[in-house]
Amino acid sequence: MLDTILQAGATVLLDPVTLGLMAIGTLAGLLAGAIPGFTIAMGVILTLPFTFGMSPIQGIATMIGVFVGGLSGGLMSGMLTGIPGTPSSVATTFDGFPLVRAGKPGLALGLGVWSSFFGGIISAITLVAFAPQLAFLGLEFGPWDYFSLIIFALTITVSLSGGNMVKGLIAGLLGLFAAVVGEDEINGVARFAFGSDEIRQGFSFLPVLIGLFAFSQLLTDVEDSERAKSPLMAKTADPVRVEHKKAIILIFKSWVNLVRSSVIGIFTGILPAAGGSISNILAYDQAKKAAKNRSEFGKGAIDGIIAPEAANNATAGGALIMMMALGIPGDIVTAVMLGALMIHDIIPGPSFIKDEPLLAYGVFISFFVAHFFMVVLQSLSLKIFLQVTKIPMYILACVILAYCAIGVFSLHNIVFDIWVMFGFGLIGYAMRKLGFPLAPMILGVVLGKLIELNLARATAISDNYLLFLSRPWSLFFITMAIISVLFPFYQSSKKESFFGKFYVPLATISLSIPLFMMQSPVRTFVAATLILGGFYLMYQKVKKNNFI
Amino acid sequence: MTHRISDLVVSILLLLFSAVMINDSSNIRDLGFDGMKADFWPKIVLWLLVIMSSILFGKSFIFIKNNPAISNLKIDNKILIISTLIKFKNAFICFAMFMFFLLTLDYLGMLIGGVLFVFGLLTFLGNFNFKSIVKHFLISIISIGCMWAIFTYGLKVMLPEGEILNVW
Repeated sequence: MLDTILQAGATVLLDPVTLGLMAIGTLAGLLAGAIPGFTIAMGVILTLPFTFGMSPIQGIATMIGVFVGGLSGGLMSGMLTGIPGTPSSVATTFDGFPLVRAGKPGLALGLGVWSSFFGGIISAITLVAFAPQLAFLGLEFGPWDYFSLIIFALTITVSLSGGNMVKGLIAGLLGLFAAVVGEDEINGVARFAFGSDEIRQGFSFLPVLIGLFAFSQLLTDVEDSERAKSPLMAKTADPVRVEHKKAIILIFKSWVNLVRSSVIGIFTGILPAAGGSISNILAYDQAKKAAKNRSEFGKGAIDGIIAPEAANNATAGGALIMMMALGIPGDIVTAVMLGALMIHDIIPGPSFIKDEPLLAYGVFISFFVAHFFMVVLQSLSLKIFLQVTKIPMYILACVILAYCAIGVFSLHNIVFDIWVMFGFGLIGYAMRKLGFPLAPMILGVVLGKLIELNLARATAISDNYLLFLSRPWSLFFITMAIISVLFPFYQSSKKESFFGKFYVPLATISLSIPLFMMQSPVRTFVAATLILGGFYLMYQKVKKNNFI
Repeated sequence: MTHRISDLVVSILLLLFSAVMINDSSNIRDLGFDGMKADFWPKIVLWLLVIMSSILFGKSFIFIKNNPAISNLKIDNKILIISTLIKFKNAFICFAMFMFFLLTLDYLGMLIGGVLFVFGLLTFLGNFNFKSIVKHFLISIISIGCMWAIFTYGLKVMLPEGEILNVW
C-alpha cells in the first residue's frame, strides 16, 4: 500500500502541470465560493469542460482544487461583508463578521483559513484510512444491496433537501426518468426516442447538469433588473493582512472543538446528500453547547469560527469516502465529480480502489495537497475577490451563459448537447420557481443508470424479489430509506404525539434486525447495542409519560 | 396560496407527461431474451411518478377547495399574463436570446454567434446608453474571443465555424 501511495504521490506532486492545474482550480474555487450567487457545485460544473482534454488524475485534481477552494472561499465574503458566499459558510458569519467589526479582520480570516485547513487535513487522513475499509465492506454487496443503497441515497436526499417531500420525490423520479431516455444499456433498445437519432443516444450527463444547475441559477441571478445591474456586493471590504501565527496558536488551544467539528463534518459528508450546508450549522451548535461561556457566541467567539470552518472542509473528505468506496456521491459536488469520472470511463465502486489504486490514491493526495494551496492562495484570492465584487451580476451571467454553450459543445462536438442544456435549463428554472428541490433530480440523473443496471443484474441472477428483503445489507438500506422518508414527518410532528415519541426508538430497534442477520461478532455487538439503546429510549418515553 | 394553484397545474402537466410516456413505453422493443425487459424499469419510474403527481394534485385540490378565498378568486387573464411577463422579463429575454443563438449557430458559428449573443444579452439586461453599448461590445468581443481561442487552440475543440466564416 505504501508503494502505491508513494507512486500516486509522485504522479501528483512531481507533475508541475497537475500541480499548476490544481492551483488554478483552488483559486477558481476560492473565488466561486466567495461570490454570493455562485455555488461550489456551479464552480465544479463549469470546470468540467476544461477537464475533458486532461488525464483523469489531472481532471479530478483540478476539480478537487475547486471543491476545497470553494468550501474555504465562502468565509471571505461572510466575514468581511456579513453575506456568506456559500451555504456552507453561513454559521461562520455568526461570529466571523462580529470579530471583523470588532477591528480584528486579520485574526478572523486567519482563524477561518487555518480551521478550514486543519479540518480538511483531519478528513484527508480519515479518507485515506477509511475509504479502503469501506470499499472492502462494499465488496460484500450484491446487486440487490446496491439497488437498495441507491434507493436510500435518493430518499435521504429528498428528506434532507427540505421543503415538500412529494415534490422532492417527483424531482428524484424525473431525474431517474431522464437517465432512462435513449438506448438501454442492457439490451441496446431505444427508449422514448420518438424517432430522433440524437435522443436515441440519450442525454449526456454534463449538458443535463449544466442546464439544471448552472443555467437555471444564472437566470435566477439576473431576474431582478436593478439587482442584476448593481455591483455583486453593495458593501466592499478593504484588503486585510491575515494573522496566521496568532490564529494557529488559538486553534491549537481549542483542539477539542477542532477535532469534534471535523468529526461532525466527516460524518455529515458520509451521509448521502448532507453537505457542508448542514455540517457547519451542526458543528456551530455543538461548539456553542460545549462552550463555557455561551454568551460570547454571536459576538465574535473564536470557537464560533473554528467549528463551522473545520466542519465544512471536513465534509468534503466524508463525501469523497462514500464516492470513492461505494460510488455513491455524498453531495451534489461529488455527484458532479462522479459524472466527471464517468466521462473519463472510470466508475468508482468497491473494487475501484483495488483496481485503480494509482488514481484512487491520487485523488486522496490531491485532496490533501489542495488544502495547502488553499492556505497559500487565500491572500491572492482576497485581492481578486475585492475586484470581482465590483462587477455587476448581469455581465458575469451573460459571459458564463455563453461559456456554458461552448463548454457543453466541447463534450461530444455536437450542437444537440447545447439544446439539451437549454431544455434542462428551462426545466431547472421552472423547478426552482415552483419549489421543487434540484438535488434529488441531479442524484437521480447520476445514479439512474446504475440503479437500473443493478436491478437487471439482480433479476438475472434470481427472479425471487424477496431477496431485496432477505439479504441483510439490502434490508439495512431499505430500513434506512424508510427511516429517512419518515424523518421529515418526525421533524414536523408534535413531541407529545405517538409518532414523535417513538420514532427514534423504533428506528434504532428496526436497524438492529439486518445487523443481527449479518452474523458477524462485531455487527451482532452493534445490533445488540442498538436494540438495548432503542428499548432504553422507549422505556424513558413510556416512564416520562406515566404509561407504567 | 398561488403556489397551491401552480402545484395543481404542475401536477396535471406531470400526469399528462406520464400518460404520454407510459403510452410510448409500449413501443419499446422486446428482444425476447430472459431477464429484465427494457421497458420494465422506465414503467416503474413512470407509475411512481403518476402516484406522486396524483398525491400532489390531491393535496393541492383539497387545499384549494377548503380555502374559499382561493377557489372564489377571479383572476383577470390579461393582468396575470402582463404581471408574469414583467416578473420574469429578464429570464424570458435570456431564453429568447439563447434560442436565437442556437437557431443561428449553423450560419453564424460559435465565434460570431457567441459575440452577438453576449452583446445582445448585455444590452437587453444592462443600461442602454452609448457608454454602456461600447462597454458591452468590448466585453463580448474579449470574452468570446478568449474562450474561442482557449477551446480552439488550447483544448483542440473544433467549435462550429458557421457558414459565414466557412465561406471566407
